[in-house]
Amino acid sequence: MDLTLTAEQTMLVDAARRFLARAWSLADTRAAERDPRGFRPDAWREMAGLGWHGMELPAAYGGGGLGFVETMLVLEEMGRVLLPSPMLSTVVMCAPLILALGSEAQRRWLARIAAGEMVATLAVAEPGWRDPWGTPALPADGGGRLTGRKLFVPFAPDADLLLVAAAGPSLVALARGAAGVTVLDRAPGEPLGAAGAAGPALARALDRGAVATLAYMAGAAERALAMTVDHAGTRHQFGQPIGSFQAVAHRCVDMRTDLDALRHLVYQAAWSLEAGREGPLAVSAAVAYGSEALRRLFMHAHQVHGAIGFSTEHDLHLFTRRAKAAELQWGSPARHHERVAQAMGL
Amino acid sequence: MDFAFTDEEERFRAELRAFLAEELPDWWRGMFVDDPRAIPFTRAFCRKLAARGWLALSWPREWGGQEASVWQQAILREEMWAHDEPRGPQYMNLNYIGPCIMRFGSEAQKRRFLPPMTAGDVLWTQGFSEPGAGSDLAAVATRAEARGDHLVVNGHKIWSSYADAPADWCFLLARTSASARRHEGLSILLVDMRTPGITVRPIDSMAGPHELNEMFFDEVRVPRDCLLGAQGQGWEIVTTGLTFERVGVARYARAGRVIALLVGHVKAAGLAGDPDVRRKLAELRVGHEAARLLNYRVISLQARGQVPSVEAAIARVHNTQLEQRVGHVGLEILGLGGQLTADAPGAPLRGLLHRQWARNVPSTIAAGTLEVQKNIIARRGLGLPRAS
Repeated sequence: MDLTLTAEQTMLVDAARRFLARAWSLADTRAAERDPRGFRPDAWREMAGLGWHGMELPAAYGGGGLGFVETMLVLEEMGRVLLPSPMLSTVVMCAPLILALGSEAQRRWLARIAAGEMVATLAVAEPGWRDPWGTPALPADGGGRLTGRKLFVPFAPDADLLLVAAAGPSLVALARGAAGVTVLDRAPGEPLGAAGAAGPALARALDRGAVATLAYMAGAAERALAMTVDHAGTRHQFGQPIGSFQAVAHRCVDMRTDLDALRHLVYQAAWSLEAGREGPLAVSAAVAYGSEALRRLFMHAHQVHGAIGFSTEHDLHLFTRRAKAAELQWGSPARHHERVAQAMGL
Repeated sequence: MDFAFTDEEERFRAELRAFLAEELPDWWRGMFVDDPRAIPFTRAFCRKLAARGWLALSWPREWGGQEASVWQQAILREEMWAHDEPRGPQYMNLNYIGPCIMRFGSEAQKRRFLPPMTAGDVLWTQGFSEPGAGSDLAAVATRAEARGDHLVVNGHKIWSSYADAPADWCFLLARTSASARRHEGLSILLVDMRTPGITVRPIDSMAGPHELNEMFFDEVRVPRDCLLGAQGQGWEIVTTGLTFERVGVARYARAGRVIALLVGHVKAAGLAGDPDVRRKLAELRVGHEAARLLNYRVISLQARGQVPSVEAAIARVHNTQLEQRVGHVGLEILGLGGQLTADAPGAPLRGLLHRQWARNVPSTIAAGTLEVQKNIIARRGLGLPRAS
């Protein structure tokens, strides 16, 4: 047992923090919000150059042979600066699916992912779903032709590769530019793995996605806490900094204690997924706690900031809106508490 | 980063559990029960632990310890606390009184006071709080005046656990200088409880009779060689001791065991299908996981030779609120039967949840209130300013 980072992990985090401080600002985040692509291809390629996209992949595909913990640590750093990128969909979710289920020909996509030449995304949710944990109903014919609707597919317009969860559950890979992809009208794809056999790998991809999202949000929340503490220490009312009032200070402390719990639950979940131990309990404990903690954290952040934090001139809303989206992305706390209950033998 | 115990550590835990299963009598429910067998049992139990080298597991070999790793110590704490702390009052010797003597004591004091602790032969109590000095501990008014080769103590201490056990010695915080700044005028005295002039008055509490006490000191003559550290070093010693104490108690471990026992009860009682019960138990389990990891962070930092006081306060904030939540939610799940205490026929889980609730009302008060912990985190952890 050792909850501290190894020397190598500390070096990775330091290098990521230095790079991101230079390469990205919150002004860039605001600009990306106005850009229909939602990310910056130059930053995307630079990150691939640092080896981030292939960190977990085998050397045969240009990868670094590291683990999910390292990917998670990099995402936490990206969260601190709110850098948007297809890292989650491409690296965290699609790459392991291709590695687990793909043919040798399909696995060659991994080298392109590691090199930063490919954006991949995973289409799971269907109309009416409240979270991605449903049973895919989208029919795929034997040749991999898809007809139907998928929703909430990140970076879909720019994806070079689309992995679609279809009935079975099965996975179908579609290349960019294939006819009928925009609305999935008899879109010609190729099966990724055997029909009906994608269930476990898909569940694992969703777990990885949830944990990576929360790691990103742990970084974002750390930054929001720093902003909040800074505000509490510099904003004066009644002749003193508002952070000297216990009611205000203790809100900051509640953010600290919640965030530290969230972060360590996320670290444990990432480690468990990497080590292949006790996945559901560790992951769902992190998601259930994390989703509720993010609500508390950001309500405290706004309360301490007062009116200025509600204005879009201030940066806080950039964090708050992402925290809410992260909470809704991977299923309700109730769903994850139920998963914990099952893991407890209930 | 590694979230698993080694095989060797898991074997140690299994050995401890087997030992506890063998040694704990059916009637054992921890301290704060009105049972005359409790204190004698804890004494006998500590001697057995000592015989196996498990009592002073973490201590240096020089003082009869095993120099065990911080993780072995953590496992020992978890198993003891999960089983209602069968070391009784002596956990304090091992957690902070002994370590403070090792750190601040003279060679003669170490030779005199540590071996009885290692052997499991001595009970200590602490004299910190006073009627006028709770959260503001530096307001201590008990005086220790130098007269010849003695310090003469006059004053009134309160909330001293186990003084009526009876304790053999007292770890006493007293004012040795009135003129200095108030933190600087404090000292720690090691007081023989048989000294004339000490009166102990037990205080009954919601958690059960006795264990908490008032102590009155009337012209109590303490030899000078029982001053720990330098005169005026008391505040440093006491804050060091409280930091040891905050991480020295694996409160989350008992919460974890109570949750596991609740799961068994719920299944046996046909409640396992109730969605509300499932969710509530899962929430407790998640809270336990959070508290456990934050304690493990503290231990990880200690393993690197750091003294993580802010992290310890953060862990304590989680520990104490978790154990209160487990009591409240557990009683909610048991319903009417939850109010029955151990001696009532048909009490579910033999009154476990009633004890969990009642004993933990003061969790967020003892050894530094929740608000004091939060002030530590605000100032030392976040760098927030003090009120002017």
